[in-house]
Amino acid sequence: MASEHAVQLSRGRMLGTVFAKTLRDQRRSYPWWVVGFMGTVVMYAAVWPSIAQNADMFEDYMKNLPDVFQELIGGAGGFTTPEGYLGSELFSFLGPILLLVYAIGAGARAIAGEEEGGSLDLLLSTPVRRRRVLVDKFEAMVLGTFGLAFVAWLAVVALGPIWDLRPDLENFTAACLHLFLLAIAFGAIALAVGSATGSKGLAIGVPSGFALVAFIVNLFGTTVSWLEPVRPLSPFYYYSGSEPLANGVDVVHALVLVAIVTVALAFAVWRFERRDLAT
Amino acid sequence: MADVVLAEHLSKSYGKQRGVVDLDFGVHPGEVFGYLGPNGAGKTTTIRTMLDMIRPTEGRILVLGLDSRSDAVEIHRRTGYLPGEMTMYGRLTGGEYLRHLAALRGGVDEAYALQLAERLGCDLSVRIHSLSHGNRRKVALIQAFMHRPELLVLDEPTQGLDPLVQIEFYRLIEEVRAEGRTVFLSSHVMPEVERLCDRVAIIREGRLVAVEDVGDLKARALRSISIHFERPVPASAFELLESVREVVAQGDVLHLTVSGPVDAVVKEAARHQVVNIESHEPTLEDVFLTFYGTGTEGGEPDGE
Repeated sequence: MASEHAVQLSRGRMLGTVFAKTLRDQRRSYPWWVVGFMGTVVMYAAVWPSIAQNADMFEDYMKNLPDVFQELIGGAGGFTTPEGYLGSELFSFLGPILLLVYAIGAGARAIAGEEEGGSLDLLLSTPVRRRRVLVDKFEAMVLGTFGLAFVAWLAVVALGPIWDLRPDLENFTAACLHLFLLAIAFGAIALAVGSATGSKGLAIGVPSGFALVAFIVNLFGTTVSWLEPVRPLSPFYYYSGSEPLANGVDVVHALVLVAIVTVALAFAVWRFERRDLAT
Repeated sequence: MADVVLAEHLSKSYGKQRGVVDLDFGVHPGEVFGYLGPNGAGKTTTIRTMLDMIRPTEGRILVLGLDSRSDAVEIHRRTGYLPGEMTMYGRLTGGEYLRHLAALRGGVDEAYALQLAERLGCDLSVRIHSLSHGNRRKVALIQAFMHRPELLVLDEPTQGLDPLVQIEFYRLIEEVRAEGRTVFLSSHVMPEVERLCDRVAIIREGRLVAVEDVGDLKARALRSISIHFERPVPASAFELLESVREVVAQGDVLHLTVSGPVDAVVKEAARHQVVNIESHEPTLEDVFLTFYGTGTEGGEPDGE
């Protein structure tokens, strides 16, 4: 046998499990997500002083807007409080978009991406159960999404004070939690569609389309009367409907999002274990 | 000893596509079993069923005595699999990829894997996406062999390998055989199957047309015989013989296509003045044509 140090295939790290390997795959892309997300948050924070100084002007401006726009950019506690400002900027639009894009992408790549790429056969020819592979990749998606939500939280908490942006910590944390749960709900739906169909296109398209419709339903549900009853069908309702930035965590709403994740994951496992895999 | 692979009424259909129909065959312990057929005949379908990538529509397939559906993980543990077509993680080096698969297998002798890489001439420090097709196949071969599995399931193992590497691969197969382990390999390369296999199954359009010893199969194959007579002999006398499929007269020479024993042909020829007889040893290619030939009597349905 060769000498000790030569008896090694590679010095590569993070190859021990599917979970570690899935995280490792993002070594290049994830830092950019972090930088981009943090940059977005910091940009908002840096604009805050000019908003706060002209609070009266913005309040007047807001009053003259149609209800839907007030809802879109208003959010909790008006535009000119730190919470209201974050709610209308970070949490109403860019935050969910960035986090959903990440989570849906990760969920779609998990099984469908690997299957379409042609590497799934060899991965599953190892003595690892299909469900283990799926859950490992789910966990990596959840961790990655959590990391980005945490980045947003940290950016505001650590850097916000530079621009005098000091939202109520508990409520701001609650909003970040709701955002995280919303994103992994759509990530889990992407994973489920991909696991059931093997199509990455569907795994991205279905949850993205659903997110768009759900976003609009939730937005207009407050002002358009006939949409009111269907608003609870939108996951976004459980994200922002309880206004976590003003009221903290809504346990029931948070649990609904967790339930979506759980059902989607269970469905993914159920279909994936019973399905023929494409070459 | 029980068969290492045992297909029982195995059928797999994909909607409109054919898949495989009612396969029955057994692979004996310690043998090298060839699975022959042209592309699209159902070889890969059968193999992916063994490994639980796809599930039988009817019947079942036992691998190492275990059911492909319920005991897939245990089968995977004890089997080495080389897919016919696959992609590996391009951003990893060959070594990293093997290490990943080894970790998922748990407890692979890395020294042996390295030794395999050396024998096949495979540089494990290169990223997979910059490897040639042949070198990727080497990495894939190593992962199939590296845990010294009881059963190797190899789908078109030599495709893309250059001749020297093929020879090294043949040596590996011989070693596996010598250790009493079992090999199931699919191929459409006849000389390779002749060289490696103890028994073969021939699959045509999703159905098995023969499962036989390579020697027996060759004995049944069509062979071509050319008989040079002193003066022209009418073909009709030979056409009546049961074993003769075809006769072509060319001057003094008759070219015959014969299946099975040539006894009757020789005796008929002996009634004339014979100058020379040329008999061509059938290759598996000829065997194949026996079963796949366009003729209506393209072969017997099954080798009992």
